[in-house]
Formats: sequence, C-alpha cells, structure tokens
Amino acid sequence: MNQMATLRPADTMLSRTEIAGLVALAARTVPPLWPLESAIAVNPLAGLEDLPFAAAVRVGANRFGAATSLPLGQWRALLHAGRIDETRLRDAAVQQLGGLYRACAVMAPGVCALDLLMARLLHLPAVDPHPVPATLAPDVAFLAKWCGAFFDQGLAAMVMPRRELGLYRAVLALAGHDADFRALAGTTGATLLLTVPRDPLAAIAEALHDLGVPADQSLDHLSLLVARMPGWAGHIRWRSEQADPDVAAAAPATMADLLALWALIERAGALAPLPAAPPSGDVTASLAAHCGLDRARLAPAQHERLAAIAMLDAGDLGKVFMAAAEGTWCHSHIPRMRASIDLPAAACPPAAQLVFCIDVRSEPFRRARENVGPYETFGYAGFFGLPIALHCAGDDRRKRLLPVLLAPQHDVVEAPVPGREHQADTIARARARDRQTAGLFAAAKQGTATAFATAEATGLLAGLVMVTRTLMPRLGARIAALTDPCRHAALAPAPQFSLADKVGFALSLFRLTGMPAATARLVVLAGHGGSAVNNPYAAALDCGACGGHAGGANARILTAILNDRTVRQGLLAHDLALPETTVFLAAEHNTTTDLVTLFDTDAVPATHRADLARLTADLDRAGALNRQRRAVQLCRSPEDLLTGAVHWGEVRPEWGLAGNAAFIVGPRTLTQGIDLDGRAFLHSYDWRGDPGGTALATILTAPMVVAQWINCQYLFSTIDNRRYGSGDKTTQNVIGGIGVVQGNGGDLAVGLPRQSLFTDDGNPYHVPQRLTTVVLAPFAQVAAVVEAHDILRRLFGNGWVHLLVIDPETGKARRWASDGAPDDEGRSPVSH
Amino acid sequence: MSKLSTANPIGFPAALLASALWVGLFAVQGAAFAWRALGRPIDGLSLVIVTLTLFVGANVATFSQRYMRADPSRGRYILTVAGLIASVLAFAMATDLVVLALAWCSSGWLLAQLIGHDTRQPEAQAAARRAQLAFAAGDSALLAGLGLLAVHAGSLRIELALASVASLSQPVAVAAALLLLIAAAARCALPPFSGWLLSSMTAPTPVSALMHAGLVNAGGFLLLRFAPLFEAAPAVRIVALAVGLAAVVEGIGVMMVRPDIKRSLAGSTVSQMGFMIMSCALGAYGAALWHIVAHGLFKAWLFLGSGSSVGIKVARPAELRPDRLPALVAAGVLIGGIALVLQGRATGTLLPLMLGTATAGATLLGGIRSAPDGSARLLLLALVGGMAGFHVLGLSLIGAVSRPDAPALVPATVLVGLTGLFLAGWVWQQRAMALGQPLPRRLYIHMLNAGALCAPASGEAQ
Repeated sequence: MNQMATLRPADTMLSRTEIAGLVALAARTVPPLWPLESAIAVNPLAGLEDLPFAAAVRVGANRFGAATSLPLGQWRALLHAGRIDETRLRDAAVQQLGGLYRACAVMAPGVCALDLLMARLLHLPAVDPHPVPATLAPDVAFLAKWCGAFFDQGLAAMVMPRRELGLYRAVLALAGHDADFRALAGTTGATLLLTVPRDPLAAIAEALHDLGVPADQSLDHLSLLVARMPGWAGHIRWRSEQADPDVAAAAPATMADLLALWALIERAGALAPLPAAPPSGDVTASLAAHCGLDRARLAPAQHERLAAIAMLDAGDLGKVFMAAAEGTWCHSHIPRMRASIDLPAAACPPAAQLVFCIDVRSEPFRRARENVGPYETFGYAGFFGLPIALHCAGDDRRKRLLPVLLAPQHDVVEAPVPGREHQADTIARARARDRQTAGLFAAAKQGTATAFATAEATGLLAGLVMVTRTLMPRLGARIAALTDPCRHAALAPAPQFSLADKVGFALSLFRLTGMPAATARLVVLAGHGGSAVNNPYAAALDCGACGGHAGGANARILTAILNDRTVRQGLLAHDLALPETTVFLAAEHNTTTDLVTLFDTDAVPATHRADLARLTADLDRAGALNRQRRAVQLCRSPEDLLTGAVHWGEVRPEWGLAGNAAFIVGPRTLTQGIDLDGRAFLHSYDWRGDPGGTALATILTAPMVVAQWINCQYLFSTIDNRRYGSGDKTTQNVIGGIGVVQGNGGDLAVGLPRQSLFTDDGNPYHVPQRLTTVVLAPFAQVAAVVEAHDILRRLFGNGWVHLLVIDPETGKARRWASDGAPDDEGRSPVSH
Repeated sequence: MSKLSTANPIGFPAALLASALWVGLFAVQGAAFAWRALGRPIDGLSLVIVTLTLFVGANVATFSQRYMRADPSRGRYILTVAGLIASVLAFAMATDLVVLALAWCSSGWLLAQLIGHDTRQPEAQAAARRAQLAFAAGDSALLAGLGLLAVHAGSLRIELALASVASLSQPVAVAAALLLLIAAAARCALPPFSGWLLSSMTAPTPVSALMHAGLVNAGGFLLLRFAPLFEAAPAVRIVALAVGLAAVVEGIGVMMVRPDIKRSLAGSTVSQMGFMIMSCALGAYGAALWHIVAHGLFKAWLFLGSGSSVGIKVARPAELRPDRLPALVAAGVLIGGIALVLQGRATGTLLPLMLGTATAGATLLGGIRSAPDGSARLLLLALVGGMAGFHVLGLSLIGAVSRPDAPALVPATVLVGLTGLFLAGWVWQQRAMALGQPLPRRLYIHMLNAGALCAPASGEAQ
C-alpha cells in the first residue's frame, strides 16, 4: 500500500474543499439520530431514497451488515395468524414471477411455476438470512468507547479531557495512552498518531491518498466508513444540523472528525473486515423433491424456471410477503372506502367537533368517540400548524414543538395563568427545591468521603420507594401528585404572535382539513402524549409532529387564538365566518391510558357548561371503550394498562405506532364506517376547497413525509432489530443521557427496541410493510402535486410509499406506478 | 382477537416466585420473633442477610413479571433467579461448612449463567466466562480455606470450626484467613477481581439489581461469619484494609468517568464494597453489616430505576467556580476526630462516623447556602435530619443483633490519618469538579477502560 503511495504523484491528493464536499455527501449515508429525550422516527435508509425500495434494501443490507427481510419463519407465522391473506400472497407471487402467464407455466403434470414459488414461500425449510450476531469488532469498540466519552451530556461526573479540541484531536491526544489503541493499531498506529495532520480534512485527504483509494471511489469508501457506526454518526448529524448550538459548544464534533478517526484506524491496518453474508444454500434439489419433479425429465426452459425460483434468496421471498401484506390491507379496506365516497355527512349537526392528531392511535379513539354520541372528528397534524419552540418555566432548554422538517419561527415562554400567580410561584419553588435536592444527592453520591454515608442514609428510604414502585405504583403516583400542584392549571404558554400570524394559523386549520366554517358549539383541539416511567423510549410514545413531545401546549395555543375575538374578525376577511356560539377547547389525549385532559375549562362560558359536562362524560366512555380494545391487543386487562403507565418495570406501556400501514387523505366520511384497527394516519382533507392543490401539497410533503419516516423506522426495526433497531430493552444501558447502548457498550442504538415491535411469543406484532397513501381527489389534481415535488416523485416513484388515488366522481382507484407514470387502472389489483 | 397470543408464560412462575418470597419475608420475621420470644438465640448475621435477600429478591421477582415478559427464555430466567436466591439463602443460613461451600459455589455459577442470559450475544457469553473465571479462583480459595479450618477443627460444623480458631498456629490462621479473603474479594469485585462486575452489563437489569444488592455482599458476609478467624490473623486484616482502600479509589474513579449509567453504578458498587470490607477489617462489624443492608437497598433501587437517566444536560462554563465549603467541612470533621482520639474514645467505627458527619455537614451547609428560600431550608434540614435518623436507627438496630466489634486493629491516630486521606481526596475531587478540571489523561483512560472486555476476549468468542 505504501509502495503504491510513493509511486503516485503527490498532486493527486484531494484538496480540503473536495474532501469537505465528499464528507458532506458521505454523511448522508445515515439519517440524523435524535436523542431519546425527544425521540424522532427516521428512516435508517433515508440516504438511499434515490434508489428503488428493493435495491435500497439490498444496498443498505450490505452497508450496515443487516438482513434484507424478516426471517421466513416469522412471515409464515404472520400468515398463519391471519395477518396476511394467503390469496394476496398468491397475487404477490404471481407478480414476482412476472405475471399470470409465466406463473402458470407447467413444470410437471399438475405443477406450475406458481406452485414452486408457493412451496418455497410456505413449506420449504427457511434459509435464515440472519447472520449469527457478530461480536463487537475491536475497531468499533474502540471508537464507540471514545464517542461515548466525548459526547456525554451530563451523565459522567468528570468529562473527557481535551474535549474542547474537537472529537478528532481530543482522541489523538488520548489514544497514545490507551492500551486499547495499542492492541488495536500496534506500532503503526502509534507512529501515525504522531504524524497525521491535526486537521481532520487534511487527515482524510492524506489517508485516502495513502490507501490508494481512486478519486471516483472516495465517496463510496467514506460512506462505508460512516456506515460502520450508524448510531454515533447519526448523533453527529443531529448535533450539527438539528440541535441548538449550546448542546455542542463544549465539545465540537463534525462528521469529518469521525471519518478522520476511521481513516486513522484504516491506515493502521486495524479495520475489521465486514462480516460476510452467509452463503445461501442451493435448494434446487429439495424444491424439486418437494414438488415431486423429476429433474432429469425437465425441459431446458423448465430447468431454467426451477433454477430461477430456487435462486430466490430471503430478500426476494420477503419482498413477496411484504407485497402480500400491503395487498391484504388494500384489499380489505379500499373497496369499502370506494363505496363510501358519496356518503353524506351526518344529518343532525354534531354536538361537538373534535380535531385529533393524524397519528394512527387517534383513529380508534375517534371511532370510539363517534360511537358514544353525535360527534364529528377531524385529523390534523398534532402540532396544529404552530412552528414554535417552548421554554417551560424552570427548564434550561427549549422544547421544539414542531415537526423536525421545520425550524421554529417563534419562541414561546410559559407564563402564569392570570389569577393563578401564587400557584405558579409554588410550582416554581417546588421545582427549584427538587432540582437542588437532586443536585445535592448527586454530589453526595459521588464524593469520595460522602458516597458511603449517603448510601447508608438513603437505604431505608430507597427500600420503601422500591416496594411502592413495584407493588403499588398507582398509589405512589397519587402520592407524588399530592405534593405537585396541577401544572397546566397554573401555567400556560404565552405566545407573542402578531394578529396576521394568528389569523394565518387559524386559517390553516380550516384550509388543510376542509373543516366547514359552520362549526359546532364546542370544538375540541386534542393533542396527544404517552405515559411511561423509567423507560428510555418514553418520548417515542409522544407526538412525532411535536418533535417527540406531548402536544397539549400546541392545542392550547391554537385554542386561545381561535377564541380570540380579533382573530375571528380577521377570519371574516378570508370568508371564514365562525358562529358566535362556537367555543374552542384544548385537550390532550393520553395514548397509554386513554384518559383525556381538558385545558383551561374555567374559561368556558356559562352558556356552554352543559355541553362541556356532556363532552367530558362522553370522553370518559370513549376512553374506556378504547382502553378495552387496546387491552386485548396488549394481552392485558384495561386496569393493567393504567398500572403499566406508572409502573417502573413496564417495558411495553402501549403499542405506540406499531401496525401503521396507511396514510389516508380525505374527509372522515370516506373512512367513517370502517374499522381501520389503529393502523392508519388520517388527515382530513376536502378536495373541493383546494382547487390549486396547495393544501394537498402541504399534506403530502409534510405530514405524509413524517408518516413515511415513522413507517420506515418500524419496518426496518422489525426486519433487523439488531442493526436497524435497538435490540432487547432489558439489557440496554443509558449512555450520556443521549440514548442507549446494548450491554457493556458499542455503537449508540438506533431505531426501536424489540419489545415495541414483537409480541411476548417473539412474533412480530408490527407487520413490516410500506405505507399506502390514499387520497380522495381527482387524479389530475393529485398528479399535478406529485409532479411538482421532487420528494413525492422520489417516494412514490421509487416505491417507498404506495399512492392510491380514489376519484371522487367515479369512485375508481388508481395506483401511482413505480416507474413514475400513473398506472393503467386495469393493472392495479385493487381497481376493478 | 384470536390472532394474538393471549398466554403470558412468565406470569405464573414469576408470580409464584414473587409471592413465595414476599410470604417468606414475613414468615422469617415472624419466626425470628417467636424464636426470640422463646428465649432461643438467633444468629443476627443470618437473619439480616436472609431478610435482605428475601426483600430484594421479592422486589426483583415482581419487577421481572413485567420487565422480562417478552424475554425469549423467560422460563430459564425465572428458574435461575429462583435458584440463585435459594442458594444465597442457603449459605446465609448454613451451619455446616459443606452446605456453605456448596451453596456459595452454586450461587456464583448461577449468577454467571444470568450474566450470560442472552445466549445469542457472544459478548454476554464472554462476560459470563469472565465472571465464571473470577468465581472459580475465589471458590477454590474458599474450598481450600474452609478445608484447612475443617481439618484443624476435625468437624464440619461452622460453630466448632470457629471455636477452634484460637488454637490455630499463626501461619495456618494467616493462610486460612488469606484464602477466605481472596474468596471474599472475588465476590465483592475488589481489585484485582473488579473486571467481572464492571463487564456484567449484559445481564438483564433486574439481575443487576439482585447482583449488586445481594450477591456481591457475600464477601462481606464471609468476613463477618469468620470474624474470629480474621481476629486471629491481624496481618490479613491489614491486607483486607489495603485491598478495600484500593477498591474505594478504583471504584470511585470508574463511577466518575463512565458515561453509561450501568457501569457507573457498578463502579460505585466496587467502591462501596471496598468501604464495607475496610469496616470489616477494622472490626466495625455492626457498621459493616448495616452498610451491606443499606447499600443493597440503595443500589437495587438505582439499578431498577436506571432507565430514567435519559435527558441531556448542558454544562454552562459560568457555573464553574471554586468552592471552599468541602475544605472547611473536612477541616472541621478532622478536628472533631482528633478530639475524640485525644479523649481516648475512638473505636473502629471512627472512620464511618467521621465520614457520616462530613456527609451530613457538607449536604446541609451546601444545601442551606444554595436553597431558594426559607421553606426549602427547613425541608432540607428535615430531610437530612430524617435520613441521619434512619441511618443511626438502622445502625443501632443492626448493631444490636450483630457480633460485638473487634478490638482496634490499628492505633486511633492511623484511623484519623485514614479518614484524612478520604477527606483530602474529597476536597481535591470537589475542587476539580467545581472548576470543571478533567482528570490527568492516563488516570482518566485507566478508569474509562476498567472492566472493558478486551479485544482478545472478544476475539476468542468467535
């Protein structure tokens, strides 16, 4: 290698600018990884969305050492459990074989090609695509250790020395004393440590040159290095692209730092080889035997067909199953939706209207809600269109309560509710006291002279707390609530918006959801959040549209805006006259317990008290109904869901967004009578009010993209929970306050834990399938929107998301074809 | 919904184990009370250890009913946990050297099984092997030590073996005590055996709680059970003191630098075990036994709650400023200690006593200084007072049932010197933290790497 380097003229070394460009491109190999305190679902293969889905899965599998599919055995279990329809599997198998004609090709009397493929799908022993979990490679262990130390965000009492130098230079400064580095890189490494450039970009340039990587392969080379540790690389992307600057101030790091370290290890010859995919065995003989084929008597063409089917690997078979899962969903729901397009809205005016987040967990709750009374519900992105960051009283850092696709436009502070200043003051003081106590405890726990007496003095109290949290968690929660006055009654977000902004936010609700101006007497805006204790993944149960936080604050702000008389006046200028009698009310739906908190009910006028009382009673009934339904899915009792929400040993407080399968854009009448089983995002939309398609464009490019990230996170975390997910919760170890690692260490975990996706018996609860987006609008209108947006052409065209358009006039469904052109109606399996 | 399984196979065995343990906990207390009422003698050490094990075990079993629900091998898990608790109970109550040895060895073996519970993870298997190795060394030492005692006493009864200790020749006593100290150090994860505990994060969280609250205490139990032997071999007590001190330093270092919650807690355990062994060596048996109980509860609570440590904190340079309070508190405590020595009232408990005073003093003064308002000060006073009260109450309760403290091992001045060492380290540490000064590089790296499953170990796992 070094010989080669001396033969190459020095001027072929890439310049710093060129390297910077390459590093920026290579960084896109991994998506940003949000810290768990505000967990955001991302597509682990987001960097490959330029490729067709199937190709991206294979490239990703190579890069990350991951599987291409769920193990065949688990697919079969899903089939046997009835979650995938065997007829749809047959359809998908026919597609895989290239159409009905080829599928029916005769192999032997009574045996056709389809039978062979079905035998492989259903009966032949599974070729397990999962390699044996590899031991943590020494190079990854070394770098992961230093990343963990460097990126620590307040968990370690003493920080890594030299952090202020940046990741690359800090590790250079320490590695010379590190026995792990000597074991890893030997004397070559020790020499390099002294001679490599201190500038990471120059170091990468020198390494590429020294390793003899041709210029046209540099990007691939760097991308593979980034992919070796997707967790920490993703964390770096979050820090540099998404985080507030103060987070990284004390310890600056860029992707170039990480790549320079990888390059150093590679130059020292210490890069561990990537685990090779296990060779898949030849199943030709067993397939032939299973189907009773005599291979000697097959014609050449039949031989070819047999070989082709026998050659299909786990990824191919998984693709067929996934298509079958998608077909199963479409087949059971699309015909009913097509039949519902002409349904009139409810005859009697609703007692109240409720606007929920588009989240899949809202759907069953909305249905329960509609079943207990004359209520009309809508779906809208859970941040209610407010691009805000909230400074909660007593918090050091602001919370970004908006989708991560957007940047906050307004900083909102929390202020005391008028008349409740005293209570707010009590809360503030209690909070200050708690923080002080925690600080004193932390200091005492760590002092060389104080640690021992602290353990002894805390012991009995700790024992008491342990018993309470283990045996009587709800009692414990009630006791804790006694000392903590109701926060939302005393403090409210106090935004400083201009009137124009306020009118704009109010208008968006009506424009995007198609909600009519003739509103009911009560309109509830309901955000949502989950509840989980002692659970690193608690934020993953919160609202994704609110940046991984509960959405109550956003609902309260928009409610205040809509109740504002000047805003109502302003809306008149936009032809939106809301009835004088309408009162807006904010709420937060707890998706773990199905309890609903109503905010600011004191402000409801006396005229609406009766409506409020009825609404509250019905909310309780709807909550109980939905809890009952969810308890069955969780194999627990409804009471136990309430306990699990406050129990410190609960690893699955709720199923979260597991099961998500579709994103439906249209009025509620389209889906009203259909049990979507909590598997669909529902965004309200009325195509008649949107001739220019601007609302549809917003819906498809913002909420739908968030839904696609969520869908891909669940999909890939299920397919390979070790590489794309974060593995088993019970052996996770919180690191740096940022995220978790498995066991003793290694890369920062990405994706979701096993318990969030798989049932107790180990079979997937989440069926890995791509999102199906259904839009009720004229095809031309949808097509114009898709054509105008790169991201939509990419997602629909490359098959990351299926698009089905239902024509409101004819009720015909048309599928957007994978090659980018709208498909003929006849070829779509669901448009007859 | 028929498409989902409704069975929850861990439910029944785990619930059975949990209820058995909860019932056992109360039964033992009742039996002890009745026994005492009848005027029969009670072995305080056994009672305390059994109670602690049942209590932590019951909590862990109940916690596991939820936490381990989705574990692929939950049946094996709950059986191993049950076996582990049973073997700890067996050696805690053993009156016979053979039972003690057997139960001791099996508890180590079962613990290693739980560290390697995830059989699909090579890393877990490596960690389990490492624990197995450390335990093998410790267990051999235990067998040899107990063998010496049994041969000398001509009996397998612990009581008789201990009674015959006085007639042991000094070299034999030293040899036997040293062997038992090695066994204890391996279980307590004292250096050079710390590695197995620091790399045991492959165990499911409730196992860690059980391990840090129960199993590691076995070493302290051994020293307390065979206290007469150690009293007959003061040289070994000096060694134990030194090993304990080394564990304190090493453990605190690991706790301070680790960015991950579980190994940081494990570092803390190493230091706490070191301190407990120091107390045993100094002959402060009551203090040591109370430490075992209180620290066990404390650590089990922290481990079970380790999922709560997510949350980003941002360091603000403006908050860094030197603080003279620790130095003042240390000086005050030291003066008090010297006064006690001059009055001739110093015993082996001087070390825990002075450190306890420093803790209360520093927390109270620091808290009062930084409290936001008067009511917070009052609350803090009540809290620190209450906890000090708990501490003293626990200490005296345990003191009443434990073996009377041994005569002083080292002169009182040395004790004060030792305490001075702790306090000096503390003042330096607090200063460095207040100023945001990092550790020297080599020291930092040593602590960060402590307990890592090194590259060769991962290589051999393949």
